[in-house]
Amino acid sequence: MKQSRIVFAAIIILFSSAIILGQERASPEFALKDLNGRTVRLRAYRGKVVLVNFWATWCPPCRAEMPELIRMQREYASHGLQIIGITYPPETKTRVQRFARSLKVNYPIILGTRQIRARFSSEEVLPLTVVIDRNGKVNDIISGILLPEEFDDKIKPLLIKNAKEK
Amino acid sequence: MLSRITKLVVTGVLVVTVGVITAAAFTKTVTIKVEGMKCAKCSASVSKALKATEGVQEAQVSSEKGEAVIKYDDQKLSDTKLREVINSTGFKAVEQPGQ
Repeated sequence: MKQSRIVFAAIIILFSSAIILGQERASPEFALKDLNGRTVRLRAYRGKVVLVNFWATWCPPCRAEMPELIRMQREYASHGLQIIGITYPPETKTRVQRFARSLKVNYPIILGTRQIRARFSSEEVLPLTVVIDRNGKVNDIISGILLPEEFDDKIKPLLIKNAKEK
Repeated sequence: MLSRITKLVVTGVLVVTVGVITAAAFTKTVTIKVEGMKCAKCSASVSKALKATEGVQEAQVSSEKGEAVIKYDDQKLSDTKLREVINSTGFKAVEQPGQ
């Protein structure tokens, strides 16, 4: 009797963990002004694959990956890719503006806050890229510089798969 | 019969030993000074990029010491390639005399 109860409890735990693991977390929402004063609402990008990239002007790997992000935005925009850059920790608007202009960043840049960052991840690593699928679910969180193979393995399939479904 | 088993065991041991010695001969450890690694939050990218490189067996990166200790297969990788990987993360692998 006791044994069957243990087995039953184990089955319940296994089932619930499988359900929890299978569920992707809904992305936190935000509506913030970008460097040009335009309001960026995450919800407005529903239907696209969104990369929320947390970065800082003084962070070498963040700076190193930005030309690649610019290229991805240019190359995959027609496949439904939208990158949003959020600076974190807080920085001055002029510094960020100067930096973004020098690189000709082709996606919106927002000045972030601790609260915004905390909504997405408690990890302190920089850069950090949150991958949100077309249904507004957090599909992955990539810590550190975004490697080309990570783009191929984790982001490209979302762009291809979802484009086919549409 | 017994001698056959003994032969098999001896051959097996020899093959394993040669394998281990060969692998050890190809494994090299290098310490590379990395410039600009002032923030621990950012230096994770260096070890991430190194570990993702084929031939790297181990990579320990310390922002405090400003260095990366890398164990790698020198048949697959060179010291120069490791420096290129570090530089691709936005930091600078420092050339040291004698390297």
